[in-house]
Amino acid sequence: MSAAVTGTREQYRRTRSEQVGVFLRGDWWRIVLLGLFLVGGIAPLVMAFLISLKTIPQFARQPFALTFPLHWENYGFAFEIVLEFIKNSMIISGVTVVGVLLLASLSAYAFGILEFPGRQVLFYLVLSLMMVPSAMTLIPSFVLVKDLGLMNTYWAMILPWIASGQVFAMFILRTFFESLPKELFDAARIDGASEWQGYWRIALPLSKSMLGVAAILNILGTWNNLIWPYLTVQKQALLPLTPGLWAYQTEYFTRYGLTMAGLLLGSIPLVILFVFTSRWFVAGLTSGAIKV
Amino acid sequence: MAVKEMPALPNTASQAVDIQERRKPLGRRIYEGRVAYTMIAPTFVFLLVFMYYPALLGLYRSVYKWAPGLSADFVGLGNFIQLFTKDRVFLNSMDHMLQLAAWYVVSTVGVSLFIAVLIHRLRGGRAQYTFRLGMILPVVIPAIVPLMLWKFIYDVKVGPLNSILIWAGLEDWTRAWLSDPNVALYAVMLRNFPWVDGVAILILLAGLQAIPYEIVESAMIDGASEMRRFWSIELPLIAGQIKLISVLTIMWGVQEFTAVFAMTQGGPINSTMVPGMWMFFNAFRINKMGYASAIGVVLFLLTLVLTLVNMKFITTEEY
Repeated sequence: MSAAVTGTREQYRRTRSEQVGVFLRGDWWRIVLLGLFLVGGIAPLVMAFLISLKTIPQFARQPFALTFPLHWENYGFAFEIVLEFIKNSMIISGVTVVGVLLLASLSAYAFGILEFPGRQVLFYLVLSLMMVPSAMTLIPSFVLVKDLGLMNTYWAMILPWIASGQVFAMFILRTFFESLPKELFDAARIDGASEWQGYWRIALPLSKSMLGVAAILNILGTWNNLIWPYLTVQKQALLPLTPGLWAYQTEYFTRYGLTMAGLLLGSIPLVILFVFTSRWFVAGLTSGAIKV
Repeated sequence: MAVKEMPALPNTASQAVDIQERRKPLGRRIYEGRVAYTMIAPTFVFLLVFMYYPALLGLYRSVYKWAPGLSADFVGLGNFIQLFTKDRVFLNSMDHMLQLAAWYVVSTVGVSLFIAVLIHRLRGGRAQYTFRLGMILPVVIPAIVPLMLWKFIYDVKVGPLNSILIWAGLEDWTRAWLSDPNVALYAVMLRNFPWVDGVAILILLAGLQAIPYEIVESAMIDGASEMRRFWSIELPLIAGQIKLISVLTIMWGVQEFTAVFAMTQGGPINSTMVPGMWMFFNAFRINKMGYASAIGVVLFLLTLVLTLVNMKFITTEEY
C-alpha cells in the first residue's frame, strides 16, 4: 500500500515541478553529478580561454590563473590567420553541401518515388558503398586527384566529398520520400505535372527539415576532416579550418596565448551554426541510428 | 483501356498499374524510366569516378609492389603475407587498435548510459532539457580543438596534468605522457576525460523516454527499487540502442586514426601506431603505395566482417 503511495507521489512531484519550474527539488545529487560531467567536459576550454589572454612571460610566471593585464590582442593576431581558414572552410563545406543535397535529393526521388527497371539493383549498388571504409579509398583517391591535376585547389576536397557525402544523405532522404503519401504525386501527375515538377514543387518543399538534417551531418563531417585536406593542399592560403588549426598550433606551439586564442576563434562558426539550427542538429545526430 | 485485357480483377489501383507495367516490353519500360535515369545519372557519375574507381583500384594495387612514378611489380598475396608474418609494427598496431576500440566501447557505453539515466530520472522538465543540451554542445566544437588541447594538457613541461600531480604531491607520477612509449597509448586512449559523448547520450535517452511509463509505474507499485528498475526494466528495453552504439563505435574505432595522427603520429617508437596511421605512413612517407593499399584492404575486410556479424546479430535478436 505504501508503495502505491510512493508511485503517485512521484507523479505528483513530476507534474508539480514542471508547473512551478522548481529546478532542484529532489534532484540535487543528480544535478551535482551531471554538473560535474559538464564542468569536466568544458574545463579544457576554460583553460584555453585563461591561457589565451597571456603573453609568454605571463604564462611562464602563472600558467593557469588569470593574470593582468589581459592581452586581448592575442585574439586580434589569431583572427587574421584563422579568418582565412574559416573562409576556406565555408567555401569548401558550403559548395560540398549544396552538391550533396542536390545530387542526393534527385536520386532519392528517383529511388523512392519513381519506378524503373533496375531500381533495386542500382540502389543496393549505392548502399554497398556505406561499407567501404574511407581508409581503403584514401590512397587511390589521392592518386586520382593528383592525376586529375586538382592538387592545391578547392576541388580536390569538394568533388570527392560530394561523392562520398551523398550516399548517406540519399539514404535518409529516400526513406523520408517513401513515407510521403503516394496520392500526392499521383494527383500532381493527373493534373499534368512532370516528374521534375513533382520533385521541385512537392518533394523538396515537404522535406525541408530532412534536408536540414542531412546538411548538418554533412557539414560536420567535412568541417572536421583533417587527413584529406592535409594531403591534397600544401598552400597555406587554401587550407580549411581543421588542418589549418593543426598547422597553426605546430607553428606557434610555444606561444601558448596565440595558440589558444586561435583554437577558440576557430570553434565559433560551428557554434553559430548550432545556435540557429539546434533542432536539426539534435535530429541529425540521432539519425546516425539509421546507419546500421 | 487496358482494364479489359486483365485476366483477374486486381484488388487495388496500384496493383492494376503493376500488372500493366509488367506487361510492357523491357525496352519500353526503360524508355519510360528516362526521367528517373536522368535523375540518378549525376550521382552515379560521381560515385563511379570518386568511389568505385578508387575502391577497385585500391583492391587492384594491393597485390602490387608499387610506388608512384615507378613500374608496378605484381607480387600476388606477398603484401598480405608480409603484413601478417613479418611486419611487427603492423601486428602491434592491430593490437593497439583492439585496445583503443575496446576502451572506446566501454567508456562510451558506460559513461553515456550513466548520464542518460541520470538525465532521464530528473524530475524537472527544464533541467532535463538543459542538461541534454549541455551534453550535446561539445559536438559543436571542431574535433581538432580538443585533440590539440589534450596534447597541451599532456605536455611534459607546461601541461596542466603534470602541474596538478605536482600540486597534489605526486611528483613521481609525472610523465612525458605522449613521448613515453610505456604510457603514450594510454594517454591517447584516455584523452577527453570524462568521456562525455553527446550523440550516444541522445540515442540512449531517446530509448529511455520511449519506455511506456505504465511499465515503470507498475514495477514501482510492486515495490521495485531504483536499481531494480534500471537492471530489470530499463536496461533490457534499451539493449537495442546499446548494441547500436557499440557497433558504431567499434566500426569507427577500426578505421579512426585522426586522433593518433594529430597527437603522436604513431610515435614514440610506434607505441601508438594504429593500422590507419601505418597505412598513411607507408603510402605518404616512404612511398610504399602497394603495401599501404594492402593495409587498406585489410581494414575493408575487417569492416565487412563486422558489418555481416552485426546484421546477423541484430536481425536474430529482435524482439
